[in-house]
Amino acid sequence: MPMSRRRPAPLAAVALVLAGALAWAAPVLAQTGQTVNAYSIWPENWARPMFEEFEKATGIKVNFVRFSSGEALARVIAEKNNPRVDVLFGGPVETHAAGIKEGIFEPYKPSSFAKLPARFRHADGQWVAIADDPLVFMSNNKFLKEANLKPPASWEDLLNPAYKNMLQMADARTSGTAVTRIFSILEVYGRDETRAFDYMKKKRRNVQVYTKSGGGGTLPVGLGQAGAGIFFIVDALDTKAKGYDVSISFPKEGIGTAAEAIALLKGAKNGELGKKLIDWASSPAMQTLYAKHKINFVPAHPDVAVEPSLAEVLKGAKIFPIDDAYAGANRKRIVDRWINEVLNLKE
Amino acid sequence: MARPAGARASGASRDPALWVTVAVLWALLALFVLYPLLCLLARVAMDGERLSPGAALAVLGDPNQLRALGNSLLLAALVGVAGTALGFLFALTASRAGFGRGWLAVLDAVTLLPLISPPFTTAIAMIFSFGPRGLITYHVLGLKGVTVYGLASTFFSETVTYFPIAYLTLRPVLAAIDANVEDMALSLGASRFQVFRSVTLPLAIPGLANAFLLLFAASLADFATPLILAGNSFPVLPTQAYLQITGLFDLRGGAVLSFALLVPAFAVFLLQRYWVSRRYYVTVTGKAGARTAVKTVAPWLRPVLLALCLAVAAVIAYFYALLFYASVVVALGANHAWTWRHYHVIFTEGAKAIRDTLVIAGLSMPLGGLYGVVVGYLIARKRFMGRQAMEIVSMLNYALPGTIVGIAYLIAFNDPPLALTGGALLIVACYVFRYSPTGIRATVAQLQQIDPALEEASLGLGASTAMTFRRVTLPLITPAFFAGLGVVFIRSMTAISATIFLVSINWTLITVRILENMTELSLGPAAAFSVLVVAIVYVVIAAIGRLLRALRAPDAVSLGGILGG
Repeated sequence: MPMSRRRPAPLAAVALVLAGALAWAAPVLAQTGQTVNAYSIWPENWARPMFEEFEKATGIKVNFVRFSSGEALARVIAEKNNPRVDVLFGGPVETHAAGIKEGIFEPYKPSSFAKLPARFRHADGQWVAIADDPLVFMSNNKFLKEANLKPPASWEDLLNPAYKNMLQMADARTSGTAVTRIFSILEVYGRDETRAFDYMKKKRRNVQVYTKSGGGGTLPVGLGQAGAGIFFIVDALDTKAKGYDVSISFPKEGIGTAAEAIALLKGAKNGELGKKLIDWASSPAMQTLYAKHKINFVPAHPDVAVEPSLAEVLKGAKIFPIDDAYAGANRKRIVDRWINEVLNLKE
Repeated sequence: MARPAGARASGASRDPALWVTVAVLWALLALFVLYPLLCLLARVAMDGERLSPGAALAVLGDPNQLRALGNSLLLAALVGVAGTALGFLFALTASRAGFGRGWLAVLDAVTLLPLISPPFTTAIAMIFSFGPRGLITYHVLGLKGVTVYGLASTFFSETVTYFPIAYLTLRPVLAAIDANVEDMALSLGASRFQVFRSVTLPLAIPGLANAFLLLFAASLADFATPLILAGNSFPVLPTQAYLQITGLFDLRGGAVLSFALLVPAFAVFLLQRYWVSRRYYVTVTGKAGARTAVKTVAPWLRPVLLALCLAVAAVIAYFYALLFYASVVVALGANHAWTWRHYHVIFTEGAKAIRDTLVIAGLSMPLGGLYGVVVGYLIARKRFMGRQAMEIVSMLNYALPGTIVGIAYLIAFNDPPLALTGGALLIVACYVFRYSPTGIRATVAQLQQIDPALEEASLGLGASTAMTFRRVTLPLITPAFFAGLGVVFIRSMTAISATIFLVSINWTLITVRILENMTELSLGPAAAFSVLVVAIVYVVIAAIGRLLRALRAPDAVSLGGILGG
């Protein structure tokens, strides 16, 4: 077989690239100082500034990776016997509630525990809340104008045929946002399941798609691929801040809100550092920083004031907490019923 | 005539090198394929200490899940057929239509794009283009109330994404069919169509079957595309399994759904094996005949073939232009001011992910290439106990949906003595054992075209198996080696479904960052990361292409060819 003289050049090039990549990687392995490890359910652009502030305040570095709530929980359960991280940071409290059954948390009552309202803490300290996150309606202004509509101000408004195939909201199989939404509807109908499901089935006809994540529909609504949807306020305001032309509104009948929680993992290798992170996160020390970093969560700690522009959005809105005990006891049954009757609606 | 390729090869007992290789491979397969799956099975079937598969099996009785299984099969079959047809069209154009290098370079470059892209890119471009406010459906065609979610768009997106696999599988097969054979048929008075139907097509059948199998399996296991495009009216099993695990926190139910996918995956696999193995083709005799000009494709047909290929290429080019555009504007759809900001973000905040991904891909590439060729060679040429079992086991991690492989690895390798989670090694192992089957199959397909007599001659003259492999077989399967190596590198740069469970606080991956960016609505950085991945893979693949050209006769191989030979 004839051999070309050019042979060594590409070989050497590939070897050089590989060697370079390895040399570049080497410094990662050298790390010093105190470090606590966390899985964050909060998106990186909110978690990172918080953890940097924590390091500034305490000298403790937070090593973290971000997962959606379902993925984070699946990992923590799989790693139960040999936990790789110390803290599960953020995520709607129902994720943590599901984790309690798996026995993955180490109860811890941080310094703010006594001050927190009952709905912002687990009685045994399995988790504590670090923020509150109400649901809102978000709609695309251009769509509203073209369809000659006002921003929806009632749950009934979403049944308008003008919205046919133009609503996006989260799938209750994967998203805490969706579960909070369904329990909001149940509350609006006085927990009369027949009427509540009747409403949801009617609304189903206007739904283009149920998205995997709670915020999955915000971009489509921002872009006008969908006309409106139901999201957590933190996602909705973020969409608006990114420059998309959207309106945020609340239904006059009221809408639910969900707590965001933090928890210590059983068998955590840096348990003491993890407790310090929980102390800090559940206190005003962290929650006063939301405004500075433009994170539109409502603080859970009663001593922290709501940032004025956020308070302005919330003004006049009727928001009610979801009853933990009721939601916990009925979650699986309601979600199953939703899958069978609403998601897989037969017509 | 109809004898399996290995029938005349030597047995293991007389050859220590073969015996050691087989033992090492089995140890690796046991550790990285069988053991994790058994751990997962145990987790599914056991309730504490008790055996109770009933609860898990109940998931299968659910009519919605049965519908999802049906949908999965339908989608995989459609993608398999359409993708193979499209791949054959491209391969035929490339190897038989007699076009110059310039045109072929364009086709190769464009068909590479879907192969070397991170997940979601086609799906996102589909939504931007064909949704209710899509660039094409609304702004160009003025349609209203169009829905992009469902079978049609998922099928379209997967076909565009996966057909290059068929192209790269079929191209070397067609190229290896000696044009002299077709020439002879022509000169004996057959029409061009007769030659095509009775010479070219039958000789390509192992390749076609191979391509169909690869596409069927790829579609069956794909969860990223349906996750975005299938919507709620067309549930498929991998997405259902993923949702079952990550959404309902039901690891068992998810695992059962994934195991249900194994049944169709292996039905097709076995069908292909027995169907193909009854046909035995040798056109490479070792006696290189004089090269003849290819005459099989009629002159009038050539521009038609080229036009069809270019139309497909244009669609792909449009998708990627859109992706690039999204990476250089502030916010696609809202603010189209020009900016390099997103690239700044990925090279600062994303630098660690880029570095980690390159290291892992750089390690996986040579290991995966080697593993693929060795296994493929043993399967195609050697006879030893458990040869068929090895073939099946080596396909397992490829056939299983990534979610399940990821979860199985997580369960199996989290606790001592095999506490490998959190490290790069586990991600590398996952890539090698999950993505080398392309290399294995490429090796097998290549060897099926080469007469074992060449090797027998070497053995008969007293060379050992190792020597024969190195001096005779290796040069013949070098293209397959590079195909395997290239595919492992590409997958290492672009895969997500399994490794999303294996990334850790120490090692993260670009694709996981892309998904993360998308959930944060940061389309810009997601697009910038995707463009970067495409660029890196292009450069590496081009380097390998040059290397291969240097190793072979200069006219034989171009950029795309290295993936198939």
